[in-house]
Amino acid sequence: MTPIAAVNGTALAVFGVIVAVTLVISWFASKRVNTATDFWAAGRGLTGPQNGFAIAGDYMSAASFLGIAGLIYLFGFDGFMYSVGFLVAFLTVLFLLAERMRNAGKYTIADVLSYRLKQEPARAAAALGTLTVVAFYLIAQMVGAGVLIEGLVEIDFSLAVLLTGAFMVSYIILGGMLATSWVQIIKAFLLMTAAVVMTIWVLAKVSWNPIDLFTEARSESAEGEAYLKPGLFLSSPLDTVSLGLGLVLGTAGLPHILMRFFTVPNAKAARSSVMWAMALIGAFYVMTTALGFGARAILGQAGEEAAGATGNGALPLLADNLGGEFFQAIIAGVAFATILAVVAGLVISASGAVAHDVWSNIVRRGQDSESEEVWVAKIAAVVIGAVAIGIAILGGEGLNVSFMVGLAFAVAASANFPALLLALTWRRFNTTGAITGVLVGVISSVALVIISPTVWPGPDSEGGLISGYDLANPGIISIPLGFVGCWLGTVLSRERVEEVSFDELYVRSETGLGAEAGTGLTLTGRSDGSHDADERELVETR
Amino acid sequence: MATTKATRAVGGPDHHPGIDWEAAERSPEFRELIRKKRSFVVPATVFFLAWYFGFVILAGYAPDFMGREFLADGLTVGYVLALSQFAMTWILGAWYLRKADREFDPLAERAAQVALRRRDDGGAS
Repeated sequence: MTPIAAVNGTALAVFGVIVAVTLVISWFASKRVNTATDFWAAGRGLTGPQNGFAIAGDYMSAASFLGIAGLIYLFGFDGFMYSVGFLVAFLTVLFLLAERMRNAGKYTIADVLSYRLKQEPARAAAALGTLTVVAFYLIAQMVGAGVLIEGLVEIDFSLAVLLTGAFMVSYIILGGMLATSWVQIIKAFLLMTAAVVMTIWVLAKVSWNPIDLFTEARSESAEGEAYLKPGLFLSSPLDTVSLGLGLVLGTAGLPHILMRFFTVPNAKAARSSVMWAMALIGAFYVMTTALGFGARAILGQAGEEAAGATGNGALPLLADNLGGEFFQAIIAGVAFATILAVVAGLVISASGAVAHDVWSNIVRRGQDSESEEVWVAKIAAVVIGAVAIGIAILGGEGLNVSFMVGLAFAVAASANFPALLLALTWRRFNTTGAITGVLVGVISSVALVIISPTVWPGPDSEGGLISGYDLANPGIISIPLGFVGCWLGTVLSRERVEEVSFDELYVRSETGLGAEAGTGLTLTGRSDGSHDADERELVETR
Repeated sequence: MATTKATRAVGGPDHHPGIDWEAAERSPEFRELIRKKRSFVVPATVFFLAWYFGFVILAGYAPDFMGREFLADGLTVGYVLALSQFAMTWILGAWYLRKADREFDPLAERAAQVALRRRDDGGAS
């Protein structure tokens, strides 16, 4: 028996508290969420700091908390490469997309893509990109949740997946984006607190000298000097570069992250929320040094078996070593909250693609009522949740979580990011370009992952399906292909019709003139009138 | 106010036919906003991509260099360069926010006001 099995009772109690608090919040939120803007965008009433916490809560998945600590524990320096890429990616978001999304968009990334293109085909392309990314990401998180809960509190994998799915869908049905945002804010707070406490604890064990972390970790690793160098996990140099490209551009194509910019009142709040997110996420990833190298220094080689092949068990083991069963139960609870917040964000963005894009704007051509749209969204959330639960249970524990997350980032970077960026900045870009770009991005990244040696013929075989092709990360090929797809589709088609001029989108996205207003919604009530600075402008000048 | 608030939520974004967007895009105020913004965002983006991919390429192709000791035993060049990525992200982010608050926002506000005034004067088209 590993020490993990012993935490059953305490861990269940901690999980119970987290579930109770988040459900109470959702119940409060359910009383306030009325309009579609409330449901999709929390009434655009979040402040910059609130949305910054929510972005951090939306972004840092169990792959960050347990996964990176585990990778560093097993492979040293290479694990930290992920930490760096996950943070630097936010500069892409800040400089290129955050404010423009807020100014030009409404509820989904399809709103921005279809703004000046032909509504239905452009929306369909954006919905395809969104749903593909969410599918891979969501199933990865659900499987991760099942494995985590099964390991920590000894309940059956299928039941664990089912419960996680049920809670995530409840938040959305009850309180939409308002509830989702607050679940994410609370989770970010819990995650940061847990990381700070563990970092201080680990540093105390190495007599407060952070450099001793590295020397002790090195002496506890069978790899010696190589443990502090790149190359143990990412052994192909080109693959390392490809991974870096996918990370740094992929975040700017993740629908659940981009959707968060619709929840603030204006562009100023959007960029301040990125800064808050960068502060939190950066601080967290710096602390993964103490969590990962600390786990190596403290647990040594003895923990390798219990940590598992992916290293996901390293952090719970470290917690047990530091503070015993009770502390381990707390850390398990934080990991559980982490997953809940991420899956809720994913499902609401997918339900946006189904209800707002496909149903309201393609099937019903904008003729449905706002309440119908919200109802369809709730039904979509249940269906998406059920499908994700089903696939996660069928695929079972054998599904490789980090591979699926990597695939989600690759599709986001190759399909969503090029199309969005070009729609906002390239005057000639047209609907054909958007469709070919998204299709080429989705197909090339999925196909390249399938023929990569880790998937087919399998990790243990010599060489790949196609000789000479050995990239596990497709970004370096699929991202340029996505851009080329956008460009070729645009220049080869004769399409000239623009339903709205590029000038309108351009001026609106850069100045906020005409941007969507908020409804003044907060968790505790609704303020009178509009929060929106741009609305005020329109009034004052009349 | 009523014009923008009353528009139906579904059916694509709200459009503002009253505003001459083409003129707004060509206005000297908007051009100045774009010029000022580009003169920060383009070099900053080139710099952060160069600094980041410099790090990634070194990690891929020069692992021994990255494993070299830096100032103290156990502290490697690779780790110090990784930390520099965090510092770069925070510094560039804070710098952008400062520029945006002080420089870009007032310019954006002015460009928007000019477009609205043109509409209200009936000067559009």
